[in-house]
Amino acid sequence: MSNDTLRKLMSDWRVVLLVVLVAASIVAIGPHFEDGKFTTNLQYGLDLQEGSWLQMEFQAEVLTVQTDRSIDRLAANLSRTLDTEVIVAADDQIEIRKKLSQEELQPILLAEGATIVTYNPGVSKETAEDVKRILENKVNSLGTKDARVNILTGLNGVTRYVRVELAGVDMATANEVVGQQGKFEIRVQTAGSESQHVLFGDAVTSVSVPTVYPPGSDMWGVAFTLSEAGAVSFREAAISSNAVNDPDNHELIMLLDNNTVYSAPLSPDLAAKLKAEPIRELRASTGTGDAGMQDALNLEIHLRAGALPVDVTVAGSGSVSATLGDYFKIVAFAAAALALIVVGVVVYFRYREPSIVLPMIAINLAEIIILLGIARYIQQLDLASIAGIIAVMGTGIDQLVVITDEVLYEGRVPSPSVYLKRLARALGIIVVAASTTFIAMLPLALMDLSTLRGFAIITILGVLIGVLVTRPAYGKIIMAILSK
Amino acid sequence: MGFATYDVNKYPPKQMVAVPLIVLLLALVLLAVNWVSTGMPVTPGIDFAGGTAVTIITDESVAEIESYFSGFPLESVGEGLGGGKYLKFGPMSDDQYRVLSEKVNDRYPEAKIDQIGEAFGAALQQQALIALVFSFIGMALVVFIAFRSFVPSVAIVLSAFSDIVITAAIMNIVGIPLTLSTTAALLMLIGYSVDSDVLLTTRLLKRQGKVEEKLSGAYRTGIIMTTTTIAAVIAMLVVTAIGQVEVIFQIAAVLLIGLFVDLMNTWVLNAGILKDYAMKQGRRT
Repeated sequence: MSNDTLRKLMSDWRVVLLVVLVAASIVAIGPHFEDGKFTTNLQYGLDLQEGSWLQMEFQAEVLTVQTDRSIDRLAANLSRTLDTEVIVAADDQIEIRKKLSQEELQPILLAEGATIVTYNPGVSKETAEDVKRILENKVNSLGTKDARVNILTGLNGVTRYVRVELAGVDMATANEVVGQQGKFEIRVQTAGSESQHVLFGDAVTSVSVPTVYPPGSDMWGVAFTLSEAGAVSFREAAISSNAVNDPDNHELIMLLDNNTVYSAPLSPDLAAKLKAEPIRELRASTGTGDAGMQDALNLEIHLRAGALPVDVTVAGSGSVSATLGDYFKIVAFAAAALALIVVGVVVYFRYREPSIVLPMIAINLAEIIILLGIARYIQQLDLASIAGIIAVMGTGIDQLVVITDEVLYEGRVPSPSVYLKRLARALGIIVVAASTTFIAMLPLALMDLSTLRGFAIITILGVLIGVLVTRPAYGKIIMAILSK
Repeated sequence: MGFATYDVNKYPPKQMVAVPLIVLLLALVLLAVNWVSTGMPVTPGIDFAGGTAVTIITDESVAEIESYFSGFPLESVGEGLGGGKYLKFGPMSDDQYRVLSEKVNDRYPEAKIDQIGEAFGAALQQQALIALVFSFIGMALVVFIAFRSFVPSVAIVLSAFSDIVITAAIMNIVGIPLTLSTTAALLMLIGYSVDSDVLLTTRLLKRQGKVEEKLSGAYRTGIIMTTTTIAAVIAMLVVTAIGQVEVIFQIAAVLLIGLFVDLMNTWVLNAGILKDYAMKQGRRT
């Protein structure tokens, strides 16, 4: 290629954009050697690196009900009849935190003067967010490098599943983290740094969500209830340690797995009451403003000792060992590399002209590089998304063939104006074909079919890059090469 | 190669259309029979029916593995060339699963285990079906908007539909189950299918010249398109078959079947309908 055509090419914005994107993508992918091993910045999903995933189903349901009475009353009554927590989720919605079928619930609600309009297994968005926070908190305490907790709320506002993905953790540990509760303890300060045991987490029977108290103030806190026995030991400890008379020097300390998570003196009001009788309803204040609220949110989790507000069952799970993950990575990349080579050979046999085939393969490769460069920021690569990359490679070459055949109609390179007309027509074909692939993949990208999401997102991304950048650039490049 | 010698203009349109339609009909009958006898038009895999998949690398024989896991609902053991084995278990209780996963970890600490509960599988299946329906409707809308004329659009949608139906029927015959991965492959097929159909339609309707010549030209381009894709998919299939990477292998297998089916549907069914349409249009103007 002469310097002149090269200069002309570099003045075309599409070609410039292509070059810039490829360069930026290589930087983003960042291939480098670390400890003598070749690595990149690409993120891998749990198929391709050691880790485990757990998909859990909430044992609860959200009902939309119709009733003449107040919804709060209904929830309170149901809670008593069903012996479980029943939460008001919206003006006409209640969340029942126990697995019950619609047939089981119908007569019970009828007895309360309410009818079920819709029945959806799962929990409200708020509860799901709560669960997500609790799980994230537990997972973070594990110190894993890469952990994700995903909830997906359906269009009806009900969340049925929560998915936990833990990189670098085996199944047994993952199960432990998610399933096991921490050891929660309340102690009271006796003298200086000494303290004495008051009660364990099993004495805490219920924990409320953070609230401000008094209402309308900015003082955040968490209310919780003790069992009767717990309330008795609480009172005894408060008296024997002299906390009731000198609260400031005898602070209450809350510990989770032997780490202090909260510590404060008894309020004068509570100290006075405790002298008279055991108190079951307690409240721990955490402070004002956003900081107070954040502390309250964390304290709530600690008080629950990491227990989830709703029971869950494992709906699905999986794990990959480091060895097998690396093995899959090698096989998947070998498949992609071989596909690229084979495609090159086939195209060569069709055109037998290196000046067409080489740019074609180069553009195809550029498409993959840009795709990976963008994917590095938004998508973990798993086996399905690598299949997506290979599929994108297939359609990419297809469409480069369409462009080539269209502009080389009857085997001749036409004049520039005719060329551009034909290129526009070829791009027209490509845009229609790409839009259909885009639309076909859209539902998968939006729905939570977990493993298929990566596939769909990669495919859509590949199609977009192809239509917007690489394929138009190819049209210009092939024109410059052939018209010399 | 067989396709290279096929003359796309050899047969009159009506004859062309008959063969693919008969195949489509047979495929529909097969799916319907399956539906009536099993409750599902296609055999659901672990993702949808529930069950456990275990991938291990071991030199042990299938018989040894089967005896080690006797007492568990082991359904099949697939073998790769590198010692990779792919074990499929049917649905089991939580307790039994726990015992199984311990047993797997004892003997094969490097295993990959995936387990899907039956109810979760059913929920996934429902979502996958919704995705398939929405994809198809979306595709049809794009096609109608792009061509704004009835017969050519219907021809494209029909051949995409036929691609999916015939491919699903062949999956049943050769024993590829419907999983999340193969659902993705079927959706991908919608994209591939429309690719060549759009090329054909655009060439035939938006270009000047004799119908026969335009058709042969489109056929030349279309064949090279599909052969390159088939070549890429075969590469993917071979490598993953050797490496026993079930997810990509299944995607590749379905794409391969689908691409061959698409050759027929594009260059026989769609070409037939379109040729007939284009010739009638030509006479009118």
